[in-house]
Amino acid sequence: MSAPISSWLARAGRRVRFRWQRDRLDRELREELAFHLAQIQAEDNGAGLARFGSSTLAHEQCRDLWSFMSLERFWQDLRYAMRMYARTPVFTGVSILSLALGIGGNAAMLSLINTLLVRPLPYSQPERLLRITGIFPRAALPFFQTRSHSMEIAAVSVGSSFNLTGEGSALRVTGSFVSPNFLSVLGAYAEIGRSFRPGEELPGSDSVVILSHGLWRERFAADPGILGRVIQLDGAGRQVVGIMPDGFAYPSSQVQLWVPMRLDPARFAEYWGTEFVPLLGRLQPGASLAEAQAESRSLVTQFRGTFPYPMARDWNADSTVIPLQRDIVGEVRGKLIILLSSVALVLLIACANVASLLLSRATTRRRELALRAALGAGKARIVRQLLTESVGLALAGAGLGVLVGSGALSIFKSLLPASMPGMAQAAIDWQVVLAVSVLAVATGLASGLAPALSASQVDLAETIRTGGQRASSGFWSRVRGLIVAGEVALTLVLLVSAGLLLRSLAKLSSVDLGFDPARVLAVQISPNPVFCAGKTGCLALYDRLLERAAAIPGVRDAAAANSVPLDGQVPTVPVDVEDHPRTVDHPSPMLWFGAVSPEYFRVLNVSLLGGRYLTRADSLQSAPVALISASAARHFWPNQSAIGKHIRPSSRQAWSTIVGVVADVRHYTLSQGLPGFVPGAIYMPYAQSAGENGQMPTAMTLLASVHSDDARTRNALQRLAEAQDPNLPVGRVRPAEEIVSGSIADFRSTMRVFLGFALAGIVLASVGIYGLMSYWVSQRAYEIGLRVAIGATRTRILALILGQGMKITAYGVIGGILVAVVLTRFLAAFLYQVEATDLLTFAVVVALVTAVAAIATAFPAWRATRIDPVKSLRAD
Amino acid sequence: MGESKRASELLPGTLDMLILRALIGGPMHGYGIASRLRQVSDDVLQVGESSLYPALQRLLLNGWVKAEWGASENNRRARFYSLTATGKKQLVLEREEFARMVEAIQKVLSMA
Repeated sequence: MSAPISSWLARAGRRVRFRWQRDRLDRELREELAFHLAQIQAEDNGAGLARFGSSTLAHEQCRDLWSFMSLERFWQDLRYAMRMYARTPVFTGVSILSLALGIGGNAAMLSLINTLLVRPLPYSQPERLLRITGIFPRAALPFFQTRSHSMEIAAVSVGSSFNLTGEGSALRVTGSFVSPNFLSVLGAYAEIGRSFRPGEELPGSDSVVILSHGLWRERFAADPGILGRVIQLDGAGRQVVGIMPDGFAYPSSQVQLWVPMRLDPARFAEYWGTEFVPLLGRLQPGASLAEAQAESRSLVTQFRGTFPYPMARDWNADSTVIPLQRDIVGEVRGKLIILLSSVALVLLIACANVASLLLSRATTRRRELALRAALGAGKARIVRQLLTESVGLALAGAGLGVLVGSGALSIFKSLLPASMPGMAQAAIDWQVVLAVSVLAVATGLASGLAPALSASQVDLAETIRTGGQRASSGFWSRVRGLIVAGEVALTLVLLVSAGLLLRSLAKLSSVDLGFDPARVLAVQISPNPVFCAGKTGCLALYDRLLERAAAIPGVRDAAAANSVPLDGQVPTVPVDVEDHPRTVDHPSPMLWFGAVSPEYFRVLNVSLLGGRYLTRADSLQSAPVALISASAARHFWPNQSAIGKHIRPSSRQAWSTIVGVVADVRHYTLSQGLPGFVPGAIYMPYAQSAGENGQMPTAMTLLASVHSDDARTRNALQRLAEAQDPNLPVGRVRPAEEIVSGSIADFRSTMRVFLGFALAGIVLASVGIYGLMSYWVSQRAYEIGLRVAIGATRTRILALILGQGMKITAYGVIGGILVAVVLTRFLAAFLYQVEATDLLTFAVVVALVTAVAAIATAFPAWRATRIDPVKSLRAD
Repeated sequence: MGESKRASELLPGTLDMLILRALIGGPMHGYGIASRLRQVSDDVLQVGESSLYPALQRLLLNGWVKAEWGASENNRRARFYSLTATGKKQLVLEREEFARMVEAIQKVLSMA
């Protein structure tokens, strides 16, 4: 009967009213029934109208009608579940905690994935935003813009450092060079002020800047009057024309300001060289991704031919067009997936554990359930009761899990590059809470279903007669064994992953750095480029600094260098090399570029392999010289000495003579040493490091080797640097060892997270094994008592129980090894000098898991040997 | 007990219809409805309170009857049920449905 919605509503309304007035209705019905009975007796003297049915039943049925029975039953189930929880606090605590762990981890992962992978970019029509992969010289921008029909193209550089002066103490900020159309291509707008105008890329009209909301708030006290004012960036004035809204973070959250990317073909190096930039595009109406890809491929090929210097034939040959969102997430995708799968593993283990605990409890509760069944509870009702209990547990776990999740989220965030746009927005929001609740209910059902089904298969008579002790069916015992074995397997996978990362970390920590960071302090000093345009001013500044630094008590030696190994900078330079003419097939090789004072090698203890170190005599006036690293020497002159050969940065006329070869230094990362495209390093005296235009490297780091790293020396250095010039941004004094360990901070935290997961896994699994074996022993108390009574020794009993536990563990271990062999391959990218199937790691983990399982089994086994046959045989 | 069995074997839903039909003549109390059904059916339909009162509550809930307290023939307080407008419509619907059903059953029973 499909009643119209209005009558359905009316009925629902009446039902609510009935529910409300239940007491009155009850009274009235009682009266009515009494009248009915009186009437029967009065009229027929109790003979005529025989009584049919019972008034109690009538009453019951009416009451059912008046109330929302399903809801009432649910409350009843819930109250019952609460009593159950209160009666078994340890069980409840362990279950809720393990579920909280699993659910919390998943909540954090969900919010990250939602923010980074699912939620569209916060720009208009984000699905039309594209990235042309590869990087291009500035000259490519007008070339692409004029020729592309399928895309509107913009350029946004990754970001470089600027000095912001004249606004309080000098500040080092990160700014991105952009084409004036970058905001309209992205589909974003300034919060106040305007975006750049066409034409502002032209030399002379490019003295404008747009500030990020963060910089505006911190440096300019969020003063709207800043618009139109001129601020000093790298010593040149730029007019503030706009402020971006809070949360705008393209190309990364590190970028604090945007300036027009000057297009000036007259500045050859800037136009064709120095910094290559990424290009992005917005699909024109009607154009498709495939069209854009085909067009971009042909444009890249055409553009390759226009380089004014020899360019490799395969330059950007693999460049294509991809959605911008994929580009942004790109490198972290793998990491996210690995994190997500390990978090899911922990949740699985937690689930299995709760299921196994519930199963054992369901069996011990057989008698109680049988009693309820005997009193008339239906099978469905009992299953629902048990499911309510497990879902209740899961929901409690989820509540706690949301708290765990916000903690886990900040840990996960620290594993990913902090500059990812949108990362800051990842939070445990209502969407995540909703998803977590769904997850919790599913978890509760998943972990409660098997136990509930097993419990509902109660043979009443049998169970009540035997007291429920030995009536457990073999099937559910096996299911439980399987669940625990699965737990062991998953734990093994996590432990192996953690173990592999741990070994990698150990290998990384003992890697030969090529220098000694011990007792070396570093502080970055970055004058404006304008200041260093005249060589002498800059030279004098650093000479003065070095002299004064060396005079500080406690300082042994001081040096200056354009970068410190592993500090995150990538100073590379294309070079011309004697005996290696540039060709189309062999364009200028790139080398790591060190502009260093002669003391550099002494302070960092870089050993000399041949020739001589730089000296103070290698000055502005003397003949140009250079040192190269051992790997560069091997690369260019594998069979002869590099000393006496000549080399020069490609932009220069004068050749430098190689006077010495030094040991390889891990400049780039601990694992890689140097980036893949860089075969070695070149070091030039700072005094001789000016480019053809006379520009010296400006941002330099002052290095000081000290007798002991104490606060007094640090403060003295910091003061010294800051005292030079109020317009000179000065960083924080940091020990070089901190820089080294900082370079693998994210690796270390990844390892820690895995270790955390693995520890959680092993604790959960041992609880699982312990629970299973204790239960097994209590189930077989009678049998064991019998065995003891007929002469089995304690050792035999011990062996029996241990054997049982070890059998399950062995299944788990074998399964775990198989799964781990398949899965750890995905970890290979994070490993250093360790095979994904490293035998030692596997062996140690297997031994560890087996040992823990043996200990978890030992307690119940020991208890089994204490069983008194007299008592256990009499128990039933 | 044989006859009570017959009463409980009423086609599902027919009790509601019979009650509605009985109330066409005017308000009646529960006992009155039961005796009327018994009388008219020559003692075949004997409705006990365990099916009658839940059925009445169901009809109330559906809004097909309304109830008022009043005095019985022997001056006792009793609850009188009467048809509502939707109850009358419902009776027509159920009668049609029932007639269709009976006709169908007849056809099946009298097949060659």
